[in-house]
Amino acid sequence: MTTLETGDILKARKTYNDGLASSIEKRRATWFPIGLMVVLMALPALQFVGNYNYVIHLVLYTACYVVMASGWNILGGFTGYISLGHNVFFAIGGYFAGMIFARYGVSTIILAPIAGLVAAMAGYAIGLITLRVRGPSFIISSLALVMIFRIFFENWEFVGGAAGVSLKANSLSVVWAKLPYYYAFVIMAAFAVWVSYKIKHSKFGLGLRAISKDEIKAESAGIDTRTYKVLAFAISAFFVGMAGAVWGEYLTYIRPNIFLVILISVNMVLMCILGGKGTIAGPVVGAILIVAFNELFVATLGASEINILATGLIMMISLMFFPLGIVGSLAQHNKLPRILNWD
Amino acid sequence: MADILQILILGLALGGVYALMGSGLSLVFGVMRIVNLAHPSLIMVGAYVAYWAFKLYGVDPMISLPIATVILGAIGVLLYKLIFEREARSAKYSEMTVLLTFALAMVVEGALGTAFTNTQRVTSPGYATDAFFIADIFIPKGQLYAGIVSLTLITFLALFMKYSRFGNAIRATTQNREAAELLGVNVNLVGLVSFAIGIALAGAAGALVSFILSFFPAKHWEWIAILMSLVVLGGMGSILGTVLAAYILSVVAAFVGFYFGATWSTLTFFVALFVVLLVRPQGLFGEKPELA
Repeated sequence: MTTLETGDILKARKTYNDGLASSIEKRRATWFPIGLMVVLMALPALQFVGNYNYVIHLVLYTACYVVMASGWNILGGFTGYISLGHNVFFAIGGYFAGMIFARYGVSTIILAPIAGLVAAMAGYAIGLITLRVRGPSFIISSLALVMIFRIFFENWEFVGGAAGVSLKANSLSVVWAKLPYYYAFVIMAAFAVWVSYKIKHSKFGLGLRAISKDEIKAESAGIDTRTYKVLAFAISAFFVGMAGAVWGEYLTYIRPNIFLVILISVNMVLMCILGGKGTIAGPVVGAILIVAFNELFVATLGASEINILATGLIMMISLMFFPLGIVGSLAQHNKLPRILNWD
Repeated sequence: MADILQILILGLALGGVYALMGSGLSLVFGVMRIVNLAHPSLIMVGAYVAYWAFKLYGVDPMISLPIATVILGAIGVLLYKLIFEREARSAKYSEMTVLLTFALAMVVEGALGTAFTNTQRVTSPGYATDAFFIADIFIPKGQLYAGIVSLTLITFLALFMKYSRFGNAIRATTQNREAAELLGVNVNLVGLVSFAIGIALAGAAGALVSFILSFFPAKHWEWIAILMSLVVLGGMGSILGTVLAAYILSVVAAFVGFYFGATWSTLTFFVALFVVLLVRPQGLFGEKPELA
């Protein structure tokens, strides 16, 4: 009879784990997101055969929301802290880059990472304050944040107050004018999804998910929950701020009632809930669906009030009947198609 | 000196209405642990009931107040049965209910906007623009009447909670749901009734607000932050705290508005909300909340 050495057991376990990991890796449809990226990169070629600006706009708009929703997901999905005030960082990024663009003409696409960092620093500072409370109190504080920033931006003469600042449109012809922003948003979206994946599969991401399950247990297990949470807040603010930077130049003006309307932060939250909070593909699926819904409602019904009504209804229905979201619910029943398994 | 007295009176007058707006919210949170973000949008519904009653039939808001109260109470029962009863078993109850009420607020806003457009409205009975004068100081009649009505309603609520058997059951459930249930309190019924009372109070507050503040469907977002600051400063779930906070903050806001301009007066509420969360998250009379 052979005696088992500790080393043997560890080795056997490692082999087993590697086997599991590689079988997951084999089932992973990595080609799908990569293929999607290739298609999106080639999409503007449509412009050679006609004017497909509407298609370009829709993809760009969706990509913008993918950046924001994936960013929100890092805090709201992984850590479980629901923020209804993330459009504050959208505004910070938009105003920072927009003002520099207006004064010095530096393209916001170049400024986007810096704008993201500024938003992240603001997020860090705000997170230090608001992450002291959790649950309902945190959600309330995030709503109040939007109100405070809205009043400040509307009364800050330097950034144009409530009227905002208009920005110079680029000098490209109508057919090509959207392309720089298009590529900026598509690349940012891919980056946001990739970073979400990396975070989810890191020790940091594990800590975040532990916080969302049970913060007290996570803390007693030795996780520095405070630092983790605030960092997650800052990272999510980074992405939202980056999206805001380019969005301002794309629209050619920055104004409080573009950035600081509640519908924008609702959309971020709703996309994650509908797609699946805490999953990687969830925010992407959610963004595509919500943008499609919005276009449908505005095109067929024409009124933004109906859009608000419909958005609210979708949110209620998805919360009540499949709170895990599309990706989460499918995964729970083992019916998630391989192409959507990005986790 | 006259200035200061004047501002104090205006602040207190508005405080009375905010107190009524916030007390329903506080009651619902206390018993059900629901942060009802849809509360202000339901106040808006009450305001529209009073507005149309006045506009179409010339009914005074004071008379349509009970009507709005009953209608909203019925809506409350409906919402509870349709939405919140089934959520009671949810694992992430507090998070779920906040998001649900948020979505509900959007549904109400969208429905009101579709039906009545986003025009600014205000009910204008004769007393809304009239005032009493005592020497140099004027007391706007509308706000005075609204303040009196709202204090009367809050007093009734307080007496009901303190002396009636059912009120005691509500308070017991607020303090400890399990213990109340063990002692034979029908917590489901308590939940239903207190939710309905809370929403009915929103209707009453709506009728009063209709002639004090101008309103349009999207304005409830501003109200929600104001009401939340009252509830948080008062201590989540404490009705007395909410009322007191309403008076304190309205007076402070009135002074801020006088010295720094009207724009910054609403900022008082939002900053107060932040400072309270930072310095004393349990508020004036609340229990200690979950601290992170």
